[in-house]
Amino acid sequence: MMARKSSFEGIESAPRWILLFLGASLLVHLFVLYLWNAAGQIFSIQGSSDSTGALSVTGMAAVNLWLCLLVLRTFPAGAPLRATWMLMTAAAAAATVAGLLAQLLGTEVSPIEQVRIATLVAGGPLRLALLSAALLTVLRTLRKFGFWVRPTAADWAVSAIVGLFAVCRFVEAAAANHPLSFEDGASLAELPILCVLSLEAMLLRQAVGRMGSGLIARVWMALVGGVLLTVAGEFALWVIPHFEHALPHAMFATLIRLPIAAAFALVPACQLAAQRCAVQPPAAQPEDLPSGVPALAR
Amino acid sequence: MHPRHAALVAFCDGESGAAGNRRIARHLTKCTCCQEQLGLIRNEKDELSAAATSLHTDSAAGLAEVLSAMAAWRDGRSNGAASELRRRLRGRIELYCGAAAVSLVERPGMRADELLGKTSQVLEVFLGPMAAEAVRDEVLGGLNWAAPDGEMG
Repeated sequence: MMARKSSFEGIESAPRWILLFLGASLLVHLFVLYLWNAAGQIFSIQGSSDSTGALSVTGMAAVNLWLCLLVLRTFPAGAPLRATWMLMTAAAAAATVAGLLAQLLGTEVSPIEQVRIATLVAGGPLRLALLSAALLTVLRTLRKFGFWVRPTAADWAVSAIVGLFAVCRFVEAAAANHPLSFEDGASLAELPILCVLSLEAMLLRQAVGRMGSGLIARVWMALVGGVLLTVAGEFALWVIPHFEHALPHAMFATLIRLPIAAAFALVPACQLAAQRCAVQPPAAQPEDLPSGVPALAR
Repeated sequence: MHPRHAALVAFCDGESGAAGNRRIARHLTKCTCCQEQLGLIRNEKDELSAAATSLHTDSAAGLAEVLSAMAAWRDGRSNGAASELRRRLRGRIELYCGAAAVSLVERPGMRADELLGKTSQVLEVFLGPMAAEAVRDEVLGGLNWAAPDGEMG
């Protein structure tokens, strides 16, 4: 009981809290969706779920930013992974700012056009480009320490599937009768970056797989999960409206984007958990007690 | 006139000089008393020489024995500490990186201090310097292990 209580104390328990919040949110959303379906879809859940869902996604992005800042402080200037964590922090900041501005200004009509454009760019292509650069620096560092693998057929296949999806989106946009909105343009601009990002994520997955399942490996596997969920989410958000028109899309968007935001928040959370595990006093690690006992006493 | 005892000892050791040697040698041909005294001096000298040689041999053997025992004790101690250090480092690599990382970090024939350096480097890169230092302190805690000169940063 005490062990369970202590496992939820301190910043090292952040991954558990994130997963707990994600699980609870998804359960609530699925329950509402079930009720809505059981009630014969007689009431609208679009309006309420749009704002609350986006708020929870923005809240998760803010948590991600805060945790990234905590991690960034532990890497001094000149540390090999400082650039990675700076890029991760910048990506989290972009997502948070974009989410907050979208909440404050609304997505449809904004009094300040430039701010709306900046919001779309920051939350979309800019964030993904920053993540792509962060992944590149991690891959370089892993290569330096021998945790490097060559891309396999599966890696190329995933990247090709994402590329095919991008081509489909571009073709669809070109065939559309109406002119492209800035939202559509920003969404299309994300696609080439997603292709690169997916290949990087697959390489990172393999490189980290060579490590095993340690605390550091979990950090980068969370990033891989975040990127692959982003790709899958983009695909799902594009495909679902083509086949199902009655579903509340805002709720679906939340159901998809919240796990993505949670996966990205898990990256710094797992990093902090690993660091706290390292700096814990030996007294807090009973399994290593004999190592602290003098040889004579043993 | 008989030469003094010290002069006879110097003669015996060949330290009287050319003139002194000639003078004492001329005297010894005529004086049986000094011949007997010189004989005694030579006997004493031989005895002392023999005793000193015997003492030297025993000391060398004893010293070698003591040094050998000390080396065996030190080797045994350092081997035990290095083995324990390796075990702890492998545990830390497994905890932070993963089980598969142990074989990538630890090369065949790698010394314990080299493994410590490599592990510290990996942890410093991925966990940050403060956490890496804490792990290193924890690994070395309670371990009577000293790195060879120039190995520890």
